[in-house]
Amino acid sequence: MIFLKFDRRIFQHFDWTLLALVLAICAIGILNIYSAGFSASESHFPFYVKQIQWILLGLFFMIVVFLIDYRVICQAAYLIYGISVVLLIIVFFYGYTTHGSQRWISTGFFAFQPSELMKLALIIVLAHYFDKHNSDEPYKLRELFIPFVIVLIPCLLILKQPDLGTALIIMLLFASIIFFMGINWKSFAIALGSGLVLMPLGWYFLKDYQKERLLSFLNPEHDPLGTGYHVIQSMIAIGSGGVFGKGFLNGSQTQLKFLPEQQTDFIFSVFAEEWGFIGALVLAIMFMSLILWGLKIALHSRDLLGTILAFGITALISWEVFINVGMVLGALPVVGIPLPFLSYGGSAMICLMTAIGLLMNISVRSFILKS
Amino acid sequence: MEKHFSLQNGPEPADFLKKLKIIIALLLIIFFLLLVRLFYLQVIQGEELKQRSENNSVRFRKIQPLRGLIMDRNGLVLVDNRPSFDVLYMPHKGKDHEAVIERLKNIYKSRSLELSYDQPFPQNVKLYQPVKLEKNVSMEKVAIVETNALSLPGVYVDVSPVRLYLDGEIMASVIGYTGEISKEELEKTNDEHASGDILGKQGVEKYFDAYIRGRRGAELVEVNVHEKEIKNLGRIDPISGYNVVLTIDADLQKAAWQAFAGKPGAAVALDTRDGSVLAMVSSPAFDPNLFNSGISYELWDKMQNNPLNPLSNKAISGQYPPGSTYKLIVAAAALEEGIITPEQKIFCNGSFELGNRTYRCWQKKGHGYVDLHRAIVESCDVYFYTVGKMLGVDKIAKYAKLFGFGEATGIDLYYEKRGLVPTKEWKMARTKEIWQVGETVSISIGQGFDLVTPLQLVNAYSALANGGTLWRPHLIKRIELTDGSIYKEFLPEKKGELALSKKTIDVLGRALWGVVNEAGGTGSAARRLNSDVCGKTGTSQVVGLPQSDKARREKKISAFQRDHALFVCFAPLKSPEIAIVVIVENAGHGGSVAAPIARKILDAYFEGKKKLKPAQVAAHHQLPDKLQD
Repeated sequence: MIFLKFDRRIFQHFDWTLLALVLAICAIGILNIYSAGFSASESHFPFYVKQIQWILLGLFFMIVVFLIDYRVICQAAYLIYGISVVLLIIVFFYGYTTHGSQRWISTGFFAFQPSELMKLALIIVLAHYFDKHNSDEPYKLRELFIPFVIVLIPCLLILKQPDLGTALIIMLLFASIIFFMGINWKSFAIALGSGLVLMPLGWYFLKDYQKERLLSFLNPEHDPLGTGYHVIQSMIAIGSGGVFGKGFLNGSQTQLKFLPEQQTDFIFSVFAEEWGFIGALVLAIMFMSLILWGLKIALHSRDLLGTILAFGITALISWEVFINVGMVLGALPVVGIPLPFLSYGGSAMICLMTAIGLLMNISVRSFILKS
Repeated sequence: MEKHFSLQNGPEPADFLKKLKIIIALLLIIFFLLLVRLFYLQVIQGEELKQRSENNSVRFRKIQPLRGLIMDRNGLVLVDNRPSFDVLYMPHKGKDHEAVIERLKNIYKSRSLELSYDQPFPQNVKLYQPVKLEKNVSMEKVAIVETNALSLPGVYVDVSPVRLYLDGEIMASVIGYTGEISKEELEKTNDEHASGDILGKQGVEKYFDAYIRGRRGAELVEVNVHEKEIKNLGRIDPISGYNVVLTIDADLQKAAWQAFAGKPGAAVALDTRDGSVLAMVSSPAFDPNLFNSGISYELWDKMQNNPLNPLSNKAISGQYPPGSTYKLIVAAAALEEGIITPEQKIFCNGSFELGNRTYRCWQKKGHGYVDLHRAIVESCDVYFYTVGKMLGVDKIAKYAKLFGFGEATGIDLYYEKRGLVPTKEWKMARTKEIWQVGETVSISIGQGFDLVTPLQLVNAYSALANGGTLWRPHLIKRIELTDGSIYKEFLPEKKGELALSKKTIDVLGRALWGVVNEAGGTGSAARRLNSDVCGKTGTSQVVGLPQSDKARREKKISAFQRDHALFVCFAPLKSPEIAIVVIVENAGHGGSVAAPIARKILDAYFEGKKKLKPAQVAAHHQLPDKLQD
């Protein structure tokens, strides 16, 4: 019963750096959401207050996950995965629809997005699988079939919602972990080749708006109206921030509500408009530090399980940060991925905080287990 | 930290380290690229984008699509589109909005025009969200706004299509009207709609809105301070809606409308062969063009509170006691159930005693001995009191339901009422009281609890006319693409079969012929040479008025308590084509008020056919000739 044995060393070796980094980014997020909702007087319960609640709730989960040894948690990997799949199936049948896609389970008190939980569940189940099926050789295609199915099921359910962004993140996460575990080059070539062949087929499964988004990225002239408009407004907002920014609560694009989804997917534009290049640079460095710190934990973990887990979590955060920022900068297509710890949203925040709890868990136990 | 570096349990720490190095290198490259992009936007392009942000000069404008045309069965356009000019104001940052509006008012005033936007300008107006000052303005105002653009910063003219209802109120109850999407409608919809969209609000415009409305377009433009486009950043053209071809015959519709001459009521003409609606009139009506540019509150209020209810389509949502027109159903039930034979005679002395109540025949002196045929022709009440009492309410209800009463006909319109076919069970559930035989007696002549809509009534008679098929009445023939090719065709749908014997149908048909064509028939006003019109009159009492004429005369009966006049008919007897119902509210007797209106509609129908005939006959004759050659 490892998880019941409270060890003082847990606190001695506590990863304060990680906590400080995450909390600092969250604090920036709160300020930002406050600003984004500043001129909107409609809500008596503003977004930033809710975001603080999500963060506190997230901290709670973080501590819970932190206290239980990650090896114990990973023993329940298939259970966690199974629950997540069931929740996605519930969404499929009874989900709550907003903006044309069915992503939410409404419990009456709050709405929950199982696809966020699925990201974490997949990291855990893949880490568990590769830990159990460890091999010295690079993996061959045949050996990757089961993990592929494990990823494919939720991926299809999420595509069906439709939530192209999350499905993409899941595929990237899978690819990252496989790359990290090592894949036979021939297998890699075959996988890539068949992927390219299947792509036109996948085109038929995309919703019209998703096709338009892809087309509008590949050829901006194609749709300057739908998502193109968002990106133009986002780029104007970011650019107009200049070197030093317009100052807190002074972003005109933000305050005039020219930005689409400015609490969620486009939150970085709000920040860059008000804090300028200097501010954005600081934020970018903070994210980069967080990512590198995550990789350090992966490297220092005492066992393979911890390494894969930590790597998976770090990969998830990295992809989300890069894709989101690339998107609002007009360098990537608009796929609707939130910026970790900054975008408004309960499900994502809670799941990310839980993931950070796991990271701390691995970080601390690398010290404890060694001696 | 270096000292902790080891992966004792791991398989190949060196391998992971190597990979992590690659990964970190990749991360740093992506990180660097994003920073370059950020630098480019914020530092290099910063000034330019700042300018653009300060001007807020990029506008996203929706472009409303053209709604599809609505045509009559012969392709005659009934509803078209026309451009409407609106005056808008775009509130810029730091501008004195009220001063600009005041200036516009003054410019108007100097030409003795008035600004219809009379409310005070909202204090906390949303910047860069256009405010509609006036809708559908005259060309004069357009010219004034355009020429004074320099002194009216932010004021501009916008063009959008609006509906043009060519026949105004004649078609109003069928076609309905359009208007801007309301807040409630906006909340109900998914992403499909946006504020400012035009939606069908009633009639065909509403029912077939999904086909008619087309798809909104949009454009992204960079504008100057006068909201004039400097640069088009992109445009998606709107897609026009599909055209709708109705089953309505415009000429017949007009004739029906004119026959009413403003009297309140409704008329429907059906093609008995497939249930298509040839004409549907509800009077009085409204001018749907008034709704185009947002109807004024006073006018709306006036229409809503008008006791004659111009906004409702009485043909489908008016519910009336069917009066003597219901005798057809009672007769059919009695024949089928074997209660009577057509030859069996019943004596009418002018009244029918039941317990201590007396039910009178409309003919005070009585009809003497009458068989079924005479009873229908002269509309003898006592005959049907007797037969109805023998049948019982539930048997009558069974046949009424067969004829389609008590349920919606399923026509392509919203707000259709179901009417009411009472049964013993219904009354028990409704009032917790037992059914009285006297109530059956009332039902037998279509009084009491019975309620029917004009459409149900004509559909029932149409079913008898065509030999027993109850069609679902329909208004739409087909939907066409803008190039005229067919997108979707609507075929007639069977709703049910009357399941009456051929003999019953023949007997009843001949009796209805007698009503119009025999001496003493109550519907002689609808008689037409060589048309063999068959019909039935009805006079339905609005409230429980005293039965005797004397008592009625003594009580001053207000206009809204007077009887409704009904007439329902089909023609010709052999191979019928058309069935018509006419209801005139609070007008008196069916035979004298409703039948003449039906006659006028019949005239229009048969005259119109004659006009078409020569061409058809010619075509018909040519074909065999060629075949013989």
